[in-house]
Amino acid sequence: MHRLYLLPTLAINVVVILIPACLTIVLAFFRWDGISSPHFVGLGNFVALWDDRVFWRALTNNIIWTAIFLIVPIAMGLLAATMLLVVRRGRTFFQVVYFLPVIIATVITARVWQGMIYSPVTGVFGLLDRMGIPIVNPLSQPSLALFGVATVDLWHWWGFLCVIFFAALRQVPAEQIEAARLEGATFFQMMRYVLLPGIKPTIILMMIMTVIWSFLVFDFVYILTQGGPASSSEVLSTLAYRDAFYNLNVGRAAASSIIISLFGLVATFFYIRVQSKEGEA
Amino acid sequence: MKTFARCFAGAAALAITAGYAAAQDKAPISWWYENASPANQDHLKSLVEKAFNDANSGQQLTIDFRGSELDKQLRVAMLSGSGPDVVYTPGPSYVAAMAQAGQLLPLDDYAASLGWNDRILPVFLDLGTYAGKLYALPKTYETLGLFYNKTLFAEKGWTAPTTILELEALADKMLAEGMVPFGAGNADWRPTNEHYVSIVLNSIAGPDNMAKALNGEIPWTAPPFVNAIDTLNKWWQAGYFGPDYFSLTGEQAFAQIATGKAGMAPTGTWNFANAQTYFPANNAEPGFVGFPSAEGVPYPIYALGIGSTFSIAASSKNPDGAASVIDYVFSNDFYGTMNTVWQGEWNTPLKDLSGVKLGDGVMPLYGEVMADLASSVNANQYGYTTWTFLPPATNTYLVSGIEEVWLGQTTTQDFLAKLDATFQQEKVEGKVPAIPPRN
Repeated sequence: MHRLYLLPTLAINVVVILIPACLTIVLAFFRWDGISSPHFVGLGNFVALWDDRVFWRALTNNIIWTAIFLIVPIAMGLLAATMLLVVRRGRTFFQVVYFLPVIIATVITARVWQGMIYSPVTGVFGLLDRMGIPIVNPLSQPSLALFGVATVDLWHWWGFLCVIFFAALRQVPAEQIEAARLEGATFFQMMRYVLLPGIKPTIILMMIMTVIWSFLVFDFVYILTQGGPASSSEVLSTLAYRDAFYNLNVGRAAASSIIISLFGLVATFFYIRVQSKEGEA
Repeated sequence: MKTFARCFAGAAALAITAGYAAAQDKAPISWWYENASPANQDHLKSLVEKAFNDANSGQQLTIDFRGSELDKQLRVAMLSGSGPDVVYTPGPSYVAAMAQAGQLLPLDDYAASLGWNDRILPVFLDLGTYAGKLYALPKTYETLGLFYNKTLFAEKGWTAPTTILELEALADKMLAEGMVPFGAGNADWRPTNEHYVSIVLNSIAGPDNMAKALNGEIPWTAPPFVNAIDTLNKWWQAGYFGPDYFSLTGEQAFAQIATGKAGMAPTGTWNFANAQTYFPANNAEPGFVGFPSAEGVPYPIYALGIGSTFSIAASSKNPDGAASVIDYVFSNDFYGTMNTVWQGEWNTPLKDLSGVKLGDGVMPLYGEVMADLASSVNANQYGYTTWTFLPPATNTYLVSGIEEVWLGQTTTQDFLAKLDATFQQEKVEGKVPAIPPRN
């Protein structure tokens, strides 16, 4: 009888998640323009992606993005979280300040950076340029565009990791920290031998989620550069979006989406393996 | 509990029937609109919705602002048959696919009975046809040309160029003076790139060659097109587009010709709205000429762009009402009142603009250019903008492909080869809009 309580959530999951996901997987093997009826092409969409230079650029960009986000915000988050642990007064204030960028809508953050910071006409970069410091708008340079977008997303994201790591750090048993302090551990020794091992599960979880989210990244890239200039900041999801809604090629978009999910699945597999090992230990 | 339930049911039933009865008085017409600034939304509410409803007491038009996601929402809604009555599509290339899928109502009967066949420019009646039936009419048509600062030109003793050689000579002079020759920017709308490709394809390769390529008679890799793209690349490498093309928004870039930072703006007539904002504020007078043509191409060629089209949904419950809304928009009075407050977006394709009265606040230049454009189109002296005449995936590739040419990541030949391959694939699938025969 009590199993009936599962029905509403199950129904929502099936209708909103399972059925569209299955449809997407099926559509990847068809050619469809979103208006008339689909026709079967087998692996044609995947072959088209394999042959497309822009697809490989997008995949490389996603991998670069993952590498950046696995290192920079996690390091910044850990450092700031351990500092917050040491500081007694002002803790809440700093947490709020670091977390504020996370809650601002991504569109607004992107437009603020585009117009008030990067712009050579209305932004800080333009001001510096006019004052004589030769600095260019990274969004307009093919070699820098991805990093320009990544900087905005980093500014938006690192506070979230800081708050998560701080919450995890406060769960580390106080006796261990006390014991380490009594034995004369320096700040770095404390971090290395007590704090970081204490929050290892949280760090691993955040790294796996970073991998999954890095392959899903869309909004900042789309708003700031739409994948340009010359596809230098293209990522898999902007590629899929353009295929589905501008090129009227839903099949190819579905194929790109499956590839995105495959990377996410690999990361999830590793996470479950790590989790089960922890469970055994 | 039971009494309460019965009372509630009774009240609900009463409310529903009352609502239904009230709705029977006016036939609803829905129209989904795209982006509009708050001021323009007010214009639409007063000059279109209210004015139409006052003039047609049996109809209730509602304009629903859907923002920049309109075309995606529309596509999904039309698929399920729950779209609006007046279908507002972003161009003829989408109309072909929708008509093919049976989502649109043929408009031939309305065109005959409401007199559109006589009032609308013939080329647009041809353009909106698919498989011999009329499905769409442009809400506005636009063209590309060259804006410049007349006051600045008079000061420097420059004249507006009429040939490509004159244009390049003038651009070099501007570079020497530290000005950016072409005020241009795509930061807020990356497809701005298609404006420049359209200009060179029409004014350098020529509209006859474009018509042949659109009909599949010659490939897009033919020499006239190679020459056109090479010229555009040459202008980019020479620095005509300035160092900030990827950082400036369209409006910022256009404003630069009013302030004197940039010399000319090769852009479309939709920028008349910006001209009205920036030129008087800078004590300058704008000028507009057709873009110079290459040797052997007539001057000027006005490349035709259709910004958006009107259709009626096949699933509409009030097609007569929808047709009368479209008829209302295609009137001289409406042209006058709407263009007085909102230039560039409501250039309805009327054949005869002589009876139109524009308000005092509008620049006389705007009225002259629009009348000139209408008569050129009537005389078949028009060209083909890529966003109107190329099928969707081809035009999307054009936008990022030209950036790759400019930034040295691909050659003109490879760019045109891929463009041609995409075009031929879409032609086979029936996605190329109808090309009216040229005289």
